[in-house]
Formats: sequence, structure tokens, C-alpha cells
Amino acid sequence: MTATTSPRTAAGAPQPADGAAAVPAHTGSRTTRILGVLALASSALLVLYGLVISPPDVEMADSVRLMYVHVPSATYLYVGCFFTTFASAMWLWKRTPGWDALAEAGAEVALVFSFITLGTGSLWGRPTWGTYWTWDARLTSTAVLTVLLIGYLALRRLDLDPGARSARVAVLGLLLVPNVIVVNRSVEWWRSLHQGSTLSRIDPTIEGDMLVALMVGFLALGLVFAWLMIHRFRVAWLEQQADRFDLDEALALRRAEAADATTATAATKGTA
Amino acid sequence: MIAMTHAGYVAAGWIGTAVLLGGYAWHVVRRGRKLSRQVPASERRWS
Amino acid sequence: MWRDAALVAGRDLRVEARSRVTLQQVGPFALLVLILFAFALDPARQTLERATPGLYWVTVLFSALLALARSAALDEADGVRDALRLSALEPAGVFAGKALAVAAELLALEVVLGIGVIILYGAEPAGIGLLVVTCVSATAAIATTGTLYGALVSGLRVRETLLPLLLLPVLAPVLLGATRAFEAALGGAPAEGWPWCGLLAAFAVLYSVAGAAAYGTLLEGS
Repeated sequence: MTATTSPRTAAGAPQPADGAAAVPAHTGSRTTRILGVLALASSALLVLYGLVISPPDVEMADSVRLMYVHVPSATYLYVGCFFTTFASAMWLWKRTPGWDALAEAGAEVALVFSFITLGTGSLWGRPTWGTYWTWDARLTSTAVLTVLLIGYLALRRLDLDPGARSARVAVLGLLLVPNVIVVNRSVEWWRSLHQGSTLSRIDPTIEGDMLVALMVGFLALGLVFAWLMIHRFRVAWLEQQADRFDLDEALALRRAEAADATTATAATKGTA
Repeated sequence: MIAMTHAGYVAAGWIGTAVLLGGYAWHVVRRGRKLSRQVPASERRWS
Repeated sequence: MWRDAALVAGRDLRVEARSRVTLQQVGPFALLVLILFAFALDPARQTLERATPGLYWVTVLFSALLALARSAALDEADGVRDALRLSALEPAGVFAGKALAVAAELLALEVVLGIGVIILYGAEPAGIGLLVVTCVSATAAIATTGTLYGALVSGLRVRETLLPLLLLPVLAPVLLGATRAFEAALGGAPAEGWPWCGLLAAFAVLYSVAGAAAYGTLLEGS
């Protein structure tokens, strides 16, 4: 039996034996292409509304434009965390790898949005309050949430037997949203003792072009979020497959070596 | 638009966001391509 | 389940009694942290006195990390995990037993630290009832959460760096609540502190349930 060649050493994608047309080697699909186009279009719309059409705020002047990014990204940060917790719960119930992949995607995309939230939040704070960091409820709890996500992703990167790792990671992921809720509530309570209201809260009487800009912000960032989630999920999925494929291939190679060894021994014995 | 107050902060925030999202998107797609090459087409259930 | 808990708690505390690690290492470490804070914050300018509640609870948290790591390590020795799995002990009972043992150690530590803070920082005890209840509920919160997270990182090579990273953000609300409660007690306005105790108690209940429920999965998974 000839040894199988490792697909990794081949230059291109492993071709199906029946000569079917080669499938492009990436995580894209018609869905993501449409999503991508919509995301770019709505982002352009956001730039238009956010930076040009909408007027400066009465109190905050132009720094309010950062809110059109800050508020939606904080929202999608929480959505990502929700995906992770939900998927972790589903994994603990069904034990299928797809849920594990979804949990991973949710956490990583959420982490990206947490940096955006923190960044836009502190850039907004500087001209408004004079400092980059104010211990207001949203920034503080987002900072804690960022560390929670980093910890979760750190546990995922450990080199463990995937079965054992998945169980631990799922328990940690399941606790993510409860932790976020507890932290948010206690930090808000704490800060409400010292300050009137949260700094980053958008004035609920917002209206007109400013409201439109905010809505477009939710739309654009939502589409980007969805696009990123799908791609990241597929990457996680592929990683699982690659791990499995690795194992299968290693087993095949071993068997091949064993077969060669026995034929070689037989040959030498025969000629001896 | 340059006459905007706090233009620096607004610009930094928007550009930073674009860079972060764009950079991450590129990173994910690149990783996807790399992994796709290692996994046979039958395992991929999209496109 | 409670019989199992008593069994495990007994075992953990007996190990502690024989090795005396908490007594001889974690305790001195805690007092050392108090001393270091005095170096960092000039005692002459009253910063220490004003910050006493916060410094106290930060010290408790750091010491708890050591105690919890030790508690988790007790089960990492060869075959102990398998023995636990094969034994008829209920995982929830094992969890409860470990949490109780750590809680006992932490309470002892908090008493020592309380004395330390009175002597070293000149704190004047007031609102003792609130102080005691805060200690009990905060300890329950730290012990239950820490035992669960200890099991999450148990056996991993990076355990020492991962446990603090995972546990401390989760315990941030406990630090918040315990400090506010202490401030209220020492500041002569205990009525403001009791709601924070409520938060601590709720936190402890949440993690007692979570830990009891998840411990089985974690014991299996390794």
C-alpha cells in the first residue's frame, strides 16, 4: 500500500477523485457576498449621515458623531456574548461541534466590538469631560467584560484534548452572560451613587437626522457583525475539521508505515 | 467637514473603528482560505 | 449529598491541618500585602485609613487566589480525579465540601486580617453586625465561585496565570459590594451597607447553584 501524500504538501486544494470542478478554497458564499455588499453600502450611508448630514449636538458638538458608532457597537458586543452563552448551553445539551464553533465565533467578534466600544467611548469622553477615562458605568463594565472575553478565549487556546477542553469552555461560556449581567448591575448601582446618569447614554429625545444616523449605525454595524460571525464560525468549523483530518491522516500514515515495514521485513526474510 | 469641532477625536474614532473591523475581517478571511486548503471540499458545507 | 460534602470538607481541612499551608504561607502573605500597601500609600496622610475597606478586600481576594489554587491542586495529584469519579460521591457534594473547606480557611484569614487592619491602619471597628455578615456572605461568594473556577483550570499547566485572569473579573462585584458594606459600617451608616450584603448573598446563591450543577460535567470532562 502506498503512503498517502499529505494534502498540506500539495500546492492546491485536494481535488475530489471524480474530477468534479474545484471548489474555491475560502469561507465565502453567496450569502456572505450579499451581506458584504449590503454592509459596505450601509457603512457608506453611515458615513454620509453620521459625518455629514446629521447636525452637531447642542451640548456635545461634533463628538456626538462618535455615539453613532459607540452605541451600536456596545449593543453588538452584548449580542456576541449572548451567542456565546447560548451556544455553550446548546453544546452542553447536544454535544455537537457546531455549537462549540458558534460559541468561539461569538466571543471573538464580541471582543473586537468591545475594543471599538472602549475606543469610541474614551475618545468621546476626552473632549466632553476632559479625560480619556471616566469611571462611568458603561465604560467600566465594558472594560471588565473585555477581560472576561480575553479569559474565555485564553481557555480556548489551550492545548488540550478537544473533548476535555470543550466541556470546560462550555461551562465558562455559559457563565459569560450571567457574569456580564451581575457586573453591569453592580457597577451601575455603584456609579449611580456618585453620578447623576451614565455619560454614554444617548439623550432619549434624540430625533431627526441624528436619530436616522443612529439607526443607520445600528444597521451598518449589524450587517458587519453578521458577516463577521458567519465567516468566523466557518473558520472555527474548518479548524475542527482540520484537526479531525489531521488525526485521520496521521493514522493513515502510520498504517502505511506499518504495512511498508512488514513487507520490507518479509522481503528481507525472503531473500535471506 | 474639517471645520467640525473635535475633528481629531471624531476622525480617530471612525478611522480606528474602520481599521479594527477591516483588519479583523481580513484576518478572518485569510485564515479561512488557509484552512480551506487543508480540508477536503466535501467537508465544507457552503458555497 | 451533605454527607459527601462533609467527607470532602473533612479531607481538605485535614490536609490543611497537616500541611498548615494556609496558616504558614497564605496568612503571612496576606499580612505582607497589608504592609506593602502601607509602603505604597503614605500612612501619614490618612490615605490608608480612608482606603481601609478597599485594601482589606483586595488583600482578601489575592490571598483567596492562593487558597483556591491550593484547594484545586489537592485533586490534581495522580489518580485523585479518577478516584473521585469512580467513587459514589455526588459531584455536587464534592463541590460543596471543597467550597466549605475553603470558606473556613478564608474566614479565619479574614479575622486575622481584621486584627491586622485595626493594628496597622488604626481602623476603629464599628457596625460589627454588618461587618460580620459582610464577611460571611462575601466569603461564601468567593469560595463557591473560586471552587468552580478552580475546577475549570484544574490540571492545566497554565493554571497559575489563568485562574486569576478568569476569577478576578467575575469577583469584581464581590469586591465592590464588600467594600461598600465595610465603608458603610465603619463610617457609621450601616443602613447603606445592608443592600450591598444582599448583593453578596445573591451572588453566593447564584454560584452555589452553578457550581453544584456544573461540577459533575467538569469532573467527567477531564
